[in-house]
Amino acid sequence: MASRLSSRILPLLRSTNAGQLTLSRTAASASVSEFDMQHKNPFAKKVIAIPKAEYGGRHSVTMLPGGGIGPELMNYVREVFRYAGVPVDFEECPIDPQSDGNEDLEYAITSIRRNGVGLKGNIETRSLSRGILSRNVALRNELDLFVNVIRCKSFPGVKSRYQDIDIMLIRQNTEGEYAMLEHESVPGVVESMKIVTAENSERVIRYAFEYAQKHGRKKVTTIHKANIMKLSDGLFLETSKRVAKHFPDIEHDSMIIDNCCMQLVSNPHQFDVMVMTNLYGTIVSNVLCGLIGGAGLISGRNYGDHYAVFEPGTRNTGTAIAGKNIANPVSMLNAAVDMLEHLGHQNHANIILQAIDKTINEDHIHTPDLGGQATSIDVVQSVVKHIQELTKDKNWSLN
Amino acid sequence: MAAQLVRKAFSTAVPLARRYSSEVRTVTLIPGDGIGPEISAAVQKIFAAAEVPLQWESVDVTPVRGPDGMFGIPQAAIDSVNKNKVGLKGPLMTPVGKGHRSLNLALRKEFNLYANVRPCRSLEGYKTLYDDVDVITIRENTEGEYSGIEHEIVDGVVQSIKLITEDASRRVAEFAFQYTKENNRSKVTAVHKANIMRMSDGLFLHCCREVAEKYPDVKFEEKYLDTVCLSMVQDPRQYDVLVMPNLYGDILSDMCAGLVGGLGLTPSGNIGLNGALFESVHGTAPDIAGKDLANPTALLLSAVMMLQYMGLNSHAEKIQKACFETIKESKYRTGDLGGSAKCSEFTNEICRKIAG
Amino acid sequence: MCTDPAGHFGSMAALGKNFFNLVARGTLSLPSHHARCLHGSAPNENSIQAPVSKPKSRTKCTLIPGDGVGPELMYSMTEVFKAAGVPIDFEQFFFSEVNQLMSAPLEDVAASIRKNGICLKGILSTPDYSRTGELQTLNMKLRRELDLFANVVHVRSLPGVKSRHTNIDTVIIREQIEGEYSALEHETVKGVVECLKIVTQRNSARIAKFAFDYATKNNRKKVTAVHKANIMKLGDGLFLRSCQEIAKLYPKIKFESMIVDNCTMQMVSNPRQFDVCVMPNLYGNIVDNLAAGLVGGAGVVAGASYSSKCVVFEPGARHTFSEAVGKNVANPTAMLLCGTKMLNHVNLQYYGDMIRGAVDRVLKAGKVRTKDLGGQSTTNEFTFAIINNLK
Repeated sequence: MASRLSSRILPLLRSTNAGQLTLSRTAASASVSEFDMQHKNPFAKKVIAIPKAEYGGRHSVTMLPGGGIGPELMNYVREVFRYAGVPVDFEECPIDPQSDGNEDLEYAITSIRRNGVGLKGNIETRSLSRGILSRNVALRNELDLFVNVIRCKSFPGVKSRYQDIDIMLIRQNTEGEYAMLEHESVPGVVESMKIVTAENSERVIRYAFEYAQKHGRKKVTTIHKANIMKLSDGLFLETSKRVAKHFPDIEHDSMIIDNCCMQLVSNPHQFDVMVMTNLYGTIVSNVLCGLIGGAGLISGRNYGDHYAVFEPGTRNTGTAIAGKNIANPVSMLNAAVDMLEHLGHQNHANIILQAIDKTINEDHIHTPDLGGQATSIDVVQSVVKHIQELTKDKNWSLN
Repeated sequence: MAAQLVRKAFSTAVPLARRYSSEVRTVTLIPGDGIGPEISAAVQKIFAAAEVPLQWESVDVTPVRGPDGMFGIPQAAIDSVNKNKVGLKGPLMTPVGKGHRSLNLALRKEFNLYANVRPCRSLEGYKTLYDDVDVITIRENTEGEYSGIEHEIVDGVVQSIKLITEDASRRVAEFAFQYTKENNRSKVTAVHKANIMRMSDGLFLHCCREVAEKYPDVKFEEKYLDTVCLSMVQDPRQYDVLVMPNLYGDILSDMCAGLVGGLGLTPSGNIGLNGALFESVHGTAPDIAGKDLANPTALLLSAVMMLQYMGLNSHAEKIQKACFETIKESKYRTGDLGGSAKCSEFTNEICRKIAG
Repeated sequence: MCTDPAGHFGSMAALGKNFFNLVARGTLSLPSHHARCLHGSAPNENSIQAPVSKPKSRTKCTLIPGDGVGPELMYSMTEVFKAAGVPIDFEQFFFSEVNQLMSAPLEDVAASIRKNGICLKGILSTPDYSRTGELQTLNMKLRRELDLFANVVHVRSLPGVKSRHTNIDTVIIREQIEGEYSALEHETVKGVVECLKIVTQRNSARIAKFAFDYATKNNRKKVTAVHKANIMKLGDGLFLRSCQEIAKLYPKIKFESMIVDNCTMQMVSNPRQFDVCVMPNLYGNIVDNLAAGLVGGAGVVAGASYSSKCVVFEPGARHTFSEAVGKNVANPTAMLLCGTKMLNHVNLQYYGDMIRGAVDRVLKAGKVRTKDLGGQSTTNEFTFAIINNLK
């Protein structure tokens, strides 16, 4: 136990010392895993710049259908892309949920490394044996996707408790409670470790503030539990206060997670941009999705320094409704739109976004999760129909 | 600086220094590695059968450490070739790793072998997709892309220099036309890429044009490298003698060899200021070495080229005929040609044909 | 010089409309990769029909006829496009190095290609000398201007085209902005010319990645790097190393390397062993042409040059056939195949497949053949045969 812990913490300590520069790439890589290198050691980034997979205006994108409803949603995305004439080619990397081996996952990660961008359903990790880590977490860690961004915006056509919500949720994505360091110290006593580092906290908080500045947002709220976890969440809070000083035009406040949940359900309009550690992010994002109308609408984005992975906002596989033609395709379509925006295909993104908007908010074609009667294919067909109308008189050029 | 070096070396250019005489001549033999010794022995045996007035001086070129600490050819081998002016060489192993200069390169430098000649001819009886190939590639062998001048300017940017000099270009052009004339060929094609490399290949082309004027009875044409590649694989009959700079020659000569059935059948000669070296250009084939399975044709035909070079045309004719007939009859073909004969059987059959 | 082609398709629009009607009624069965069996109970009549993407919108494409027989081939291609009702508008430029006075400025052409993202281009002839001492050719300038770093030539034995080798299916990928084509030459002393070959890590890695990405996308199994690193240890060595580095990212694709002279020899004797080949500039030029020769010559091989933002489609073996100008004998197959590749690139697969099918049928039937394939037909006859075979 001690050795495992120290191997994770040691490089961290070294890097936080003053003499980071002495930690040369080669010297460090001998003892530290690649994950640690990238992740806990901002001064020795071991990512080689790989040329982008963009040729002649077409992008290659890794597609991880995942389990449950993932594969069918991916097919809808392909269908919509075809009609919208999107210059994106998918490289599909299926991951066998039954296998205990990680070859598929490793290949998928390599594929994202090459393409730079991935579109992903939720991957199932069937095996509950202790050695097997969650594949979703492993993927995020391996690619160092340190920030998860979810935009929770109300759909006017969807019935929900609150209207006009527009909250940006920015979540630390690679450490905290999800560090996957657990052990039974004596029989009957389990310790689970939560890791918070200054570097990673600063990265995600800086991202939040920069996002707010760039997109004309007014306020950033840090969500924490520093009254109990004085050191770990304390560090996160301290860091956000420090970073906030660099952004004087943006209001900064903080809120304790339990209070935050209460505020969210009673007065969600007070929030603008929220930044938080990993576990709180899961909680808040699910609460918010519930407030504005379910898990089937919202998309999430995962960014690292080099890679970006897009997925539905709430991470569940939906195995129960798989194959029944009732899953809501909108969240995956929204993720695909996010991806197009990231790749710079703004025109195509706008068209699909408009088509989704018309389908949901004007035509009210809703799947059962939104209280409607429509099937998944109905929704996709409506989106396609709108795309065709929107592109009728268009003169395309790739760029 | 490089240019000056090159100039100095070329200042006494006398193409085709030949000595014609009827007395028994000595020729240096470098058997080589792998299958080299066996195919050299086969050639020696055939030569003996044909009563060629030659005697062999076998030398070893295993690299020795020179006074500068670098591995190089032993002085004895150099002296031998210098004395005899003519050599025959089997395949040599190129040592992998740094610190070794390629022996082929060293020999080339040592003897100023400026032109590489490779006749490629479809062999009657051995079926390939191309049965109408009869071209001779002549390649400038001392400069061009293989000048060996390279450096890394900044991290991740390498510059290699392709060197073309007027002297070397003219010399090889001169040789090509001379060779064409002497071997009763009709046409010389200069292969170049002057549309891209306007100055360097332009200079080479310019020299060829100048020399061409001196040989009004030899037809001369200029072709782009890519055009030659394209039309060579479609219709090789339209080419006769090709002359070109180093890299193009390297690529085209191997390609032509591919048309007629591989390097095991194509001879090669290197003509230099201080002598000429004939060799087989195939590999050492260590997997079949010593098993009496190798095909000595390439080395034999190289030796025939050597005889022609020395003016022993009647002997050359006799051996070549016997060799072609043996292959045509297909009774004694070695494994690489789809037969099952041993090297010695093949050799004996040729000897029998020569005697009979 | 820049014509508005709005009227180009007027006459054949009727055919195009008919086709849409057919599709709309669902009477035309079209290849679709829509997974119908996805849901056990998914109703068939509800599933998505008419897999024609962007059927009603139009796409713009830059057109450079080129020198030699280029304009004739382009005319043939536009005729076929018209007949097929392809929703493409052309923006045509006269662009030439041999006729500089008439040529459109490089900036205009580049701007148009940048805007449209796609271009169809004939071959520009490159004179051996330049009066102004200019070392870069117009082709090179265009490639550098647009950063068209990768050239892809798909060499494929065509049905009905007789050649010595059969069943060749090789993709040759060539780096094309550096290497020997750097146009850095100088005469150090009289009679001695130095020509620089530049190899950079960045461009080598980029082309290697391109090759592997191409192989991944097109389900290819093997990538062969062609080099001469045994002689040019630094320059080609850097290229080879970059390929090896990138190869590590593609565990499912086999990687091999081959020396260029051996490669040419193998290519003429056993071409089927090659799958995807990647190589520096000059070697690419050689192997492209060599491979084109194996499958029937410059008239039947299509190619494309890629930058990250745009593509220029042009015949794979670059010959202008200036001797055939005006004789109505040139083979438009290469240009038509370029056209189909372009259609596929902009998601007009339907039209791409239609024209491709027509070309295959005409070649396979073998009744109408141009001179280079051993026939007697003219370019026009061949073009009409294609149009008649559009289905």
